[in-house]
Amino acid sequence: MGKKERVTVRICVGTACFVQGGADLLLYHEFLDPVVLANCEIEGVSCLGKCKQSDANARAPFVQIGSVIYGDMTQERFCTLLAEAVNA
Amino acid sequence: MNDVFIDVDYAQIYKTGQKIGGDVFLLSRNPDRNQIVCTLSDGLGSGVKANVLASLTAHMAHKLSFSEMDLTHSAKIIMNTLPVCKERKISYATFSIVDIRHPSLDDIQVNLVEYDNPPALLFRDSTPLPWDREMIDLQRDGAFKKEVLSRSVFKMSVGDRLIVFSDGVTQAGMGKGLPLGWRLDGVRQFAQQQIEANPSISSHDLSRAIVRKANGLDRLSSKDDITCMVVYARKPRRTLVVTGPPFTKEKDELLGEKLRAFEGRKILSGGTTALIVSRLFGKKLKVDLSCWSPDVPPCSTMEGVDLVTEGMLTLSKVATVLEEKRSVRSLPNDAVRKFVEVMQDSDQVHFIVGTKINDAHQDPSIPVEIGIRRTIIGRLRKALEDNYLKETSQEYL
Repeated sequence: MGKKERVTVRICVGTACFVQGGADLLLYHEFLDPVVLANCEIEGVSCLGKCKQSDANARAPFVQIGSVIYGDMTQERFCTLLAEAVNA
Repeated sequence: MNDVFIDVDYAQIYKTGQKIGGDVFLLSRNPDRNQIVCTLSDGLGSGVKANVLASLTAHMAHKLSFSEMDLTHSAKIIMNTLPVCKERKISYATFSIVDIRHPSLDDIQVNLVEYDNPPALLFRDSTPLPWDREMIDLQRDGAFKKEVLSRSVFKMSVGDRLIVFSDGVTQAGMGKGLPLGWRLDGVRQFAQQQIEANPSISSHDLSRAIVRKANGLDRLSSKDDITCMVVYARKPRRTLVVTGPPFTKEKDELLGEKLRAFEGRKILSGGTTALIVSRLFGKKLKVDLSCWSPDVPPCSTMEGVDLVTEGMLTLSKVATVLEEKRSVRSLPNDAVRKFVEVMQDSDQVHFIVGTKINDAHQDPSIPVEIGIRRTIIGRLRKALEDNYLKETSQEYL
């Protein structure tokens, strides 16, 4: 079996996301499973642009995992989604 | 904005055991007239009594030098007003007043008045320059000693430094290895070495170095208040702060041109603004996740720009820090700290304020107060001008 590619994760650190829970997500070192963390490439992004779409169903904070952007992110949801992405 | 910046700062160490100084330094700028007046006064004795004498003298000298009154007359008024010391039965405080007017880069007029302080030193780069002083005999009624005022008018050019200090500096080390103290020659030599070692040394650093050395000569237990003030004429250090996207997309290119043309440090404040500039310059924007605190989002890095931060949260926090004059060292390692450091290290700050309304901030559920950009920039400018004596300017795009 070849080496698995790491999952790219982009956390939005724009104002709207940061004040609505994005700051909690930046503590990922503290709440993520180290095994999951080791398989992720986490970086910040100044804005994913989702907050400006009025038709969006989801709300800030936004996180992009792979190619999908998720809204309403919480620490718990982040853990679950990442674990799923890594084990996929 | 001016092409010349007069960097004035001072350093002071009180006499050992005193909680209040007998040397008083005052500085005020009048940007409309391109005038700066700084005063150093040393009151008789030490502690509270000396501080009262010196404060009175410095404030009077300061006010009077802004008026049209003849200087000799002003000096007499000051001396007649000072309260009499209970022990010594005399009223006495020394002073040096430096009045600088700088209408243009190559015309910096200095009007220096000295009374009983050690003579000031003038340096052109690292070479000491002598100049003529006119001595005025005051002949005041009720004087307990001969009172001679020294007055001189000369020009400073860019790169010149004027160093004024109290007798605590020249008498440092007296009786402790130096029979007559450090003396003027010693101070001159030391200042020269400091400037040679670091030709662009700031007034802050030079005054501090002199005061520390004097305190060292006194074996860290100073016998008098040690105060040194440095006036340094130099080219200004400029910083450009860009915040907010331009009102229309067409103006983006103009913003790019302004950024490219600017000589000095550049700060981008705002996620969308940073994205626009990143696209214009074709440079990658990278968020630095190691540099943030729970109050402010992380900063980013981009080639060609000195600092990239988030917008409103960072700016309002920076404004608060500058308004409260909080020390940089007390701040966590985040974007605010970096921003404040750059502000304190600049002489002139220019703001380009984009006027586009951020859709993301229109959400009523955002739990913090996000002020209007303009208001925050107004607060920032006021704090920079009032608390830190910086020059600021602003334009909308």
